[in-house]
Amino acid sequence: MTAAVISQPAQPHQPAAAGGGLMRRLNVGTAVAGGVILGLIGWLVAHSLLQDDDHGSDQVVLVTLTCWAVGFMIGIGAFNGPIGWALGRDLRREDELFLAGKDQGISRYFRFTTDHKVVGIQYLVVTMVLFALGGTLAMLIRTNLISPHSHFLNPQTYNAIVGLHGLIMIVATIIMVTGPFGNFIMPIMIGARDMAFPRLNALSLWLIVAAIPTLLSAAVLGGIPTGWVGYAPLADQAPPGMDSYSVFIIIFAVSSAVAGANITTTVLTMRARGMSWNRTPIFVYGTVASVGLAIPAFPMFMASQILLQVDRTQGGQFFVASGGGSPWLYANLFWLMGHPEVYVILIPALAALMELTPVFSRKPLFSFNAAVISIAGIVGLSVMVWAHHMYASGWAPDLNGPFMLTTEMISVPTGLLFLVILGTVWRGRVWTTVPMMATYAMLWNFIIGGVTGIYLSDVPADYALHGSMFVTAHFHYTLMGAGLTGAIGALAYWFPKMTGRMMNERAGYISFWLVQIGFNVTFMGMFAVGLAGQPRRVVTYAHLFATGNLVSTIGAYTIGIGMLVLLYAVISSWRHGDRAPANPWGGKTLEWTVPNPIPLENFEVMPVVTSDFYGYGEEPSTGADGEDAREPVHAGAPAGPAAAVVAAAPVEGEL
Amino acid sequence: MIVGGVAAVAITGFVLSTAGATPGLLKATVNGTADTAQGQLPHAFLNLATYPDSEAGEHGADGGAHPDWVSYGPTSNFEVPAHSLVTITIDQYDGGETITNPFFAKVRGTVDGTMTVDGKTMTEADPDAIGHTFTIHALPTNQDPLFVSVPLPAVSDDAPEVEGTDYPAPHVVTFSFITGGKGEYVWNCEFPCGDGYYAKFGGPMSTQGYMSGNINVV
Repeated sequence: MTAAVISQPAQPHQPAAAGGGLMRRLNVGTAVAGGVILGLIGWLVAHSLLQDDDHGSDQVVLVTLTCWAVGFMIGIGAFNGPIGWALGRDLRREDELFLAGKDQGISRYFRFTTDHKVVGIQYLVVTMVLFALGGTLAMLIRTNLISPHSHFLNPQTYNAIVGLHGLIMIVATIIMVTGPFGNFIMPIMIGARDMAFPRLNALSLWLIVAAIPTLLSAAVLGGIPTGWVGYAPLADQAPPGMDSYSVFIIIFAVSSAVAGANITTTVLTMRARGMSWNRTPIFVYGTVASVGLAIPAFPMFMASQILLQVDRTQGGQFFVASGGGSPWLYANLFWLMGHPEVYVILIPALAALMELTPVFSRKPLFSFNAAVISIAGIVGLSVMVWAHHMYASGWAPDLNGPFMLTTEMISVPTGLLFLVILGTVWRGRVWTTVPMMATYAMLWNFIIGGVTGIYLSDVPADYALHGSMFVTAHFHYTLMGAGLTGAIGALAYWFPKMTGRMMNERAGYISFWLVQIGFNVTFMGMFAVGLAGQPRRVVTYAHLFATGNLVSTIGAYTIGIGMLVLLYAVISSWRHGDRAPANPWGGKTLEWTVPNPIPLENFEVMPVVTSDFYGYGEEPSTGADGEDAREPVHAGAPAGPAAAVVAAAPVEGEL
Repeated sequence: MIVGGVAAVAITGFVLSTAGATPGLLKATVNGTADTAQGQLPHAFLNLATYPDSEAGEHGADGGAHPDWVSYGPTSNFEVPAHSLVTITIDQYDGGETITNPFFAKVRGTVDGTMTVDGKTMTEADPDAIGHTFTIHALPTNQDPLFVSVPLPAVSDDAPEVEGTDYPAPHVVTFSFITGGKGEYVWNCEFPCGDGYYAKFGGPMSTQGYMSGNINVV
């Protein structure tokens, strides 16, 4: 596959080819129509042929959901390229420009568009939709737990909501940084004109869009009673909602593999001339580390779901002990994905904060090499800690000690990342903005999440705390307190570049404080009831936990309001915010050298990098107009200083 | 927009909280008092049944969404008075086989540790011919403990159907227990009977309104 639009230097204002054909009429509407039609056909055929089978209901659901996904992808145009090749045709340049969304206005966001900036925005919107769904479910969970016997939700509905909330939020946090910013920002940051495989880029996005309805279908198919982990053998016994879970995971794993290969290839082969590894921005390291971990991790999860589907639809016994299978097989496959996945989420979020902290501290990133080595250390160790989730399961108790050791070891490189950020802020000329406040919040939250993680890595302590609300509070402190906070910081930082508008600062501050105060209230209360013994995933609880749960629910409502304020800030600023200059923060990385709006092919001339991007203390911190870069550059000002970059002459066939 | 967001969450919650298929509630009938080891207590009665399908209970004559699932009837949510003697009579119409866990073949937690089956007093059932159990558990909350478990003997596979019905003559199982203070308890069948599901713990065993439900002591 060749890059669709990046193989030539920029040719601004070249009109897209007129005319059309079916390919040019495909969009999300035709995708939904294709999914519904093929899904309906699949259901009719499967229902007539398979319903009487012992596993008929599961087979029907599997066939229907698979047909939906295939129909959706056909309808969005994902298979146009392969079909064209099969017919002996490759895309013409005007086709490639059409695919890149050239001159299509807002409609390009509803198509199979290959421009990485469009895909980045699409990822951002999908992530926000997922957070809205998962957050709504969180509000319902906390409402049910507002008192010991609230009866707000019946037990089955509660179980279904807990499972859906967990899985939706996990997926949202996995894509929240590498999706929007890894696609929009990262290629520009390395000086590329697009991703290595633009069509695969669009494919990864639309696979997730196709998969979301399959997951939501679980709500009307009996729910996911297993929690987000989908543990067998309960998953073998669960209603057809479990088939929705499996199909969703399988599609998502394909999407993440495609995205991972694309991002990795892009960074390895398309960095600007002069961008050696020690001049590559730390965010790029974080993105590559994240997808590099995901590439081996998610196939494990996919394999577990394929085996589960063999159990559920064909009478297999992979996870059924009475049939010679092993539930521990599922647990191992799951956590072989599950713990690396924590770092798939965390590393890019921390890397984004490491990227923006030097900008707002006006200092170089403290110990760049230590940061890179720490990321590499976390990546290496994160695949050797999975069984700490299984201390209490009875699997290989002799390995509890070694897994305790590796788990505690991973706190060392993680701690180093803390020191990198603290060292960067130390004695800096800190410009306290919403992105920078996200850094502060992450430091506070991740200390709590990290320290409680060390407690849980300890086998005796874990035996006492396993399965309690303490665990729930711990992982929310890491994934939300650190991960999501980092993603929000990244959004506030790159919002001007992605939208061309400045984000409403006042609303950003209000949202920040509401979310952070609400977050700490919610999960401190959860730590308290967890330490007192409240188990996870229960619809009712003892009266002695009532106060802690009431506090947590009040905190959760505060988070919810704060998130709505953030949503308001994003949408209103996107539509009506002040126009952003090219480099409002005085950043030095390459994305701040391109104008707003960013040209289709990003760079008029390909940049050449002559030093690293963190030399903030090595020269006057001035904006492009000579003003102190601690103040925003006025709208309309030229791009700020990218002192490490010199513009090169157009390079024909550079990429 | 923020108010709209809060409203959207609230509406979603309201719909979900009311849309769940919560089974109907059957209240015990109090009829006089009874002399017990704890003195004279109100005497409450419940009449239940277990069926080999779902066509005789609250799911309707067509069996609802899962007509071939075994079920309790007339519902699976019950309400009984606190500090009372509760007598439950179950018409057991279903067949059976060897129970998975013999612990549940014995009568536990009833008055005198006994039940009557077709008028005959028993302390246990034949573990090789049990259809279901009726087992009450306490939730881990601050309420009086309550554990009652009664095996329901299986109806013979070759028993003829009673004329005018789709079922054979049932075994009539009666037992009594004494409730403590107010509380919320769950009950379920402890003999996995979700045919077609692994270990038979899925389907009717894990869905409200079939082989599990709630008992509220009020």
